[in-house]
Amino acid sequence: MSSNPNSMPDPRRPNKILRYKPPSTESNPALEDPTPDYMNLLGMIFSMCGLMLKLKWCAWIAVYCSFISFANSRSSEDTKQMMSSFMLSISAVVMSYLQNPQPMSPPW
Amino acid sequence: MFPLLLLLLSGASARFDDFDEGDDLVEFDDNDFAEFEDVSEDLPTEPPARTVTTEDDEDEATVEVEDNQEDFEDSETPDEDIYKYDAEEFEGFEKSNPSFNDPINILTVPSHLQNSWESYYMEILMVTGLLAYIMNYIIGKNKNSRLAQAWYNSHKELLESNFALVGDDGTSKEALSTGKLNQENEHIYNLWCSGRVCCEGMLLQLKFLKRQDLLNVLARMMKPACDQVQIKVTLNDEDMDTFVFAVGTKKAMARMQKEMQDLSEFCSDKPKSGAKYGLPESLAILSELGEATEGVMDNKMVHFLINHADKIESIHFSDQFSGPKIMQEEGQPLKLPETKKTLLFTFNVPGMGNTSPKDMEALLPLMNMVIFSIDKVKKLHLNREGKQKAEKNRARVEENFLKQTHGQRQEAAQSRREEKKRAEKERIMSEEDPERQRRLEVG
Repeated sequence: MSSNPNSMPDPRRPNKILRYKPPSTESNPALEDPTPDYMNLLGMIFSMCGLMLKLKWCAWIAVYCSFISFANSRSSEDTKQMMSSFMLSISAVVMSYLQNPQPMSPPW
Repeated sequence: MFPLLLLLLSGASARFDDFDEGDDLVEFDDNDFAEFEDVSEDLPTEPPARTVTTEDDEDEATVEVEDNQEDFEDSETPDEDIYKYDAEEFEGFEKSNPSFNDPINILTVPSHLQNSWESYYMEILMVTGLLAYIMNYIIGKNKNSRLAQAWYNSHKELLESNFALVGDDGTSKEALSTGKLNQENEHIYNLWCSGRVCCEGMLLQLKFLKRQDLLNVLARMMKPACDQVQIKVTLNDEDMDTFVFAVGTKKAMARMQKEMQDLSEFCSDKPKSGAKYGLPESLAILSELGEATEGVMDNKMVHFLINHADKIESIHFSDQFSGPKIMQEEGQPLKLPETKKTLLFTFNVPGMGNTSPKDMEALLPLMNMVIFSIDKVKKLHLNREGKQKAEKNRARVEENFLKQTHGQRQEAAQSRREEKKRAEKERIMSEEDPERQRRLEVG
């Protein structure tokens, strides 16, 4: 654009630079995607169910939930939370199989 | 030892059964063949004059044979031939004779004893599903990343020639262009540009589809959606006159009129067709002032809108922009939400989900339109009439707001007064010196 003699003068103004401020999530809670939080919670519930009630399918669903939560998570979110829910679901699966090595029977 | 005993016992009871069948002990002959005479129906078909030596036997044999024959005719069936057996041979087995009529149950070996991988097919299915999810995550993430990079590459030049600062994550000490997108998510990228006449800054958000989430991918097979580019230009106070205006698809306009605070307050009329200005039927206009519409819809803008109507979701110019309507809880004293002069653009990426990096170049003319709009809005000035009307509208909205919250504000003031009184009383009570207490009470 600067090579064109008929172009407008340079619109840039280095003195008018404003720094980027990440939009605060408190001002617009509706815009936040609740999926990772719900999936995290669901994963924890299912893994507790799988551990306490010795249900293998609960434990497997918990693993899926923690994967889905991870895929949808924001980069600003704590990875510790994600890892803890993931570890919990894996431990639920492992414990269910240690206690009862029988394979899962399909519901049909 | 024990089974032998059992056999003997059962044999003995069998003999007693034979006796119970009707023959008296008295009739029992002492000869060797007496036993044959007892068992009538079990004798094989023999000629009656067979090896019977005694006279009695002969008579009896004859009679019995006749009986036998009758019995045979009654009870004999071809299938039971093999079940005819010599009673003497099977003495002990009377009771323990297996009943051949019961069906044989073949029990399956429990699966955990089977010791084969096939029985774990559900688990294998689960693991396969997880692997598929992970594969999709990687592929989706890479695709989104490539699309974002392609968009940036095609728009970089335009942005750099218009803004002094292109790319900032807000964390670095100096305001230097990072020259790259901020990755918020695996599907959301944003870019902050600043340092230009007529505006404070511009935030670009690339809102891609959640290609990294397999559930989302499957959901999109039912309900197609497309990637979006959202641009928000914030203006200084002197950069824009007072008006609220929006143009976009009919669906988007209807939705925004309900959701957006400023559109619902200032543009209460239904979205109008833009046919007057030559716009295609798919687009509708929401406007506060007719004059503003006239000012915005000049030839070049109309040209832009007609050529790229399929990519435009909504365009929203407002000096009273405060975001979507916030649902306030009861009893919370409201303040008028803070407003900012803003231009908002939402564009749909062509391809309806199946976008390739090349499609990003098609958005370049739209960015040109954005830059053009910024300059245009700066130059757009309402006449006196328009300004007065706008002023009246804003005063009206404020008044309505105050009226609505009047009750709540009164309550809030009342509770504040009570709180002050209570605090005062407490202070008096907690004062230990009685002298000072008396003085305070009087005061």
